[in-house]
Amino acid sequence: MLLRYLAVRLLLIVPTAWILVTVVFFLMRVVGDPISAALGGRLPPDQIEARKEAAGLNRPVLSQYWDYLSGLVRGDFGRSTDNQAIGDIIANYGAATLELVFWALLVAFLVGVPLGRYAARRRDKAADVGLRLFGILVYAAPVFFVGLLLKLIFAVKLGWLPVAGRASTNVELALQHVSPKTNILTIDAILYGDNSYLLDVLKHAVLPAIALGLLTAGIFLRLVRINLIQTLRSDFVDAARARGLSERVVVGRHAFRNAMIPIVTVMGMQIAMMLGGAVLTEITFEWKGLGYQLAQYLQARDFVAVQGIVAFLALVVAVMSFLVDVVVALIDPRVRF
Amino acid sequence: MAGLALLAVAGCGSGRTGGGGDGGLVIGTTDKIFSLDPAAAYDQGSYVPETQVYQHLMNFGPGKTEPEPDAAEKCGFGTPTVYTCTLKTGLKFANGNPLSATSVKYSFDRMLKINDPNGPASLLGNLDHTDAVDERTVAFTLKNGNDQTFPAILATQAGPIVDEKVFPADRVLDDDAVAEGKPFSGPYTITSYDKNKLVEYQENPDYAGLLGKPKTASVSTKYYASPDNLKLDIQNGAVDVAYRSLSPTDLESLRGNDNVTVHEGLGGELRYIVFNLNTMPGGTPEQKLAVRKAVAASVDRDALSTEVYKGTYTPAYSSVPQGFPGATEPFKDLYGAEPNKEQAAKFLADAGVAAPVELNLQYNPDHYGGSSSEEYAAIKSQLEATGLFRVNLQSTEWVTYQRERARDGYPVYQMGWFPDYPDPDDYLTPFFAPNNFLQNHFEDPAITAQLTAEVTQPDKDKRLAIIRQVQREMADKHISIVPLLSGKQIAITAKGVQGTESTLDPSTKFRYSVLSK
Repeated sequence: MLLRYLAVRLLLIVPTAWILVTVVFFLMRVVGDPISAALGGRLPPDQIEARKEAAGLNRPVLSQYWDYLSGLVRGDFGRSTDNQAIGDIIANYGAATLELVFWALLVAFLVGVPLGRYAARRRDKAADVGLRLFGILVYAAPVFFVGLLLKLIFAVKLGWLPVAGRASTNVELALQHVSPKTNILTIDAILYGDNSYLLDVLKHAVLPAIALGLLTAGIFLRLVRINLIQTLRSDFVDAARARGLSERVVVGRHAFRNAMIPIVTVMGMQIAMMLGGAVLTEITFEWKGLGYQLAQYLQARDFVAVQGIVAFLALVVAVMSFLVDVVVALIDPRVRF
Repeated sequence: MAGLALLAVAGCGSGRTGGGGDGGLVIGTTDKIFSLDPAAAYDQGSYVPETQVYQHLMNFGPGKTEPEPDAAEKCGFGTPTVYTCTLKTGLKFANGNPLSATSVKYSFDRMLKINDPNGPASLLGNLDHTDAVDERTVAFTLKNGNDQTFPAILATQAGPIVDEKVFPADRVLDDDAVAEGKPFSGPYTITSYDKNKLVEYQENPDYAGLLGKPKTASVSTKYYASPDNLKLDIQNGAVDVAYRSLSPTDLESLRGNDNVTVHEGLGGELRYIVFNLNTMPGGTPEQKLAVRKAVAASVDRDALSTEVYKGTYTPAYSSVPQGFPGATEPFKDLYGAEPNKEQAAKFLADAGVAAPVELNLQYNPDHYGGSSSEEYAAIKSQLEATGLFRVNLQSTEWVTYQRERARDGYPVYQMGWFPDYPDPDDYLTPFFAPNNFLQNHFEDPAITAQLTAEVTQPDKDKRLAIIRQVQREMADKHISIVPLLSGKQIAITAKGVQGTESTLDPSTKFRYSVLSK
């Protein structure tokens, strides 16, 4: 039954991904073609037409869509206006974003889950009220604002952590010589074998990971709290208490595990949110990943590059949703039926 | 990954697999490299790396205003139209290929042949052809004799000597191929290249030119998207030198910081608006001129200087900055120091141009600094306050901006200028000669003739008279650009960094080789 469930979920990736990339393609066309958007009113109409023709943008939209889709199937995301393959850009910078999202998720878990659990156990007491307020604040505060605040406190005022970048210049240069190179600096630093370099990389990751992770931590906190409160009211929890199990065992072994299921379920959505947040975080902290590149290409009005990167991020979200489904199925056998 | 990281931090890592990163000098910038190929780049962001890695026949030593031999042993005019250089012996590129007279001929022939719209070929307008006379002798034949500027032009962005075995003769080479080919002969070679992110330079042991042995063996340039991060990093000591471009507010705050020093050098940087004469508003040439004159009469340079730039830039009323021989202020004489709405309206009315004129004004915030956004917002307000213009502002990232502006992409747009050589001609010929670098379709036979006369006039007083005349005529009859502001070169250094003053000189070459800490 599990295999059938997983096979169906795996097959669902295809239409999900197709819908996502199709939406990306047509949304980009809603604002007009890239050349008119960048140069409309600046170039005479005949020159705009000539450029559109050279770029193949005056063909029917469906024909362009077909080329785009068949390119994606071949793994071709197109080329930027500076003639770089979008696939290469994704390969070069995707790892940085992956690293940032990983650390941010870790922060979200380490902050959101224990605090949510603590708040639930102290329901309606001062600690609970304070934590709920904290959850709302970190969720509502814009990433760049939190980032700026963190930088001013921990980098400028206290001088404990670096202001920006993924590593100090000498470390970044040294890690370029690591073989095999993953572009995930934490792993590259481990491969390099110098602990001071690893420490440097980790120190650079702290503030961006907190800025991005707190956003999701607020959601996790509130979800864990509410689910745990509801689970603690369940019959099976009463039964466990009636059997004489300690409150610690009741909460930790029985209620908490059940309360975690919705958290895992919303994780797929949170990853999409984090990828969006990563754009702002990467700009704030000069974290040169896909989000940073996306911002650069937006500034350059390079629609092909933007479309390629956004389509890739959409595919990542589709795959992550599948993985979340798998994890949920493993935790909660009921969803397989 | 977290577990692995913790284990490794706890001391489980071992065995290095590479080298590099010996902790040399770190330079931070918000500027961008457009191209490492000298044929394709004519901007300060590209010239900074070019200055470090390519050798010129002639060059400007730190603090000097006259060019001196660099790769050349000696240079001079044999006849008024033939300039001959003899190369030093044993020159080679970092890849081992020999640097000979044929390399020099190849470099200049290639630049003229490619004639890239973003490149500096326009500086070689007076070069007819180049001959490799023998292994070490190269002869430049000029179209007009007695060119007073040609030795200096050899030291500009038009003059880097490239390796014929690496650079194709008829097309631009992409940056990664340049970095891999190691066609470097300057004080440094590039050892690691991640475009507009991080570039590492190591001392070139084979360089024996004018600039001498670099004071620092290893230098890295870190490229920032945000001037705020650059400011915080120089403040915190994460970078040693910040060169281009922090906001006036940041500079003001850094001036009060004991950990850093703000250096100001002679510069003659110019900020101005360019009109593409083909695509700008106006139905006839006369109407277009009227629009340009109306813009010239409507902008408030003083407000830009004081309100946007806090006095770090001063109003400019000519393309030639004050302080250069022959500099005048024709825009002040003709259009006034203050905005003149009535005069602007009259220009438009006399030419039959209906107001408001729609201006699509393009600017760039990364190469020209974040304050460009404020500067151009202010210009929009000033122009619209007259009721004569409706301005649509749009910004674009530098690499695209540079490409598009040369392809007629922008009818009216922001530009800035750092001189190639410390001479007033460098504020005239590159802007107003045929095939000028602005690529804005300005060409006028009378101005061309005066520029030729100015460049080839050996009598100083007569030459300066022509320079004054060109400035006046450009402001009165043509206005292909509207000068706005001029400024100094500024660099910020962390404690203990030395040598900055000597490179912030009139040549505007930012030489890493003189910096140390």
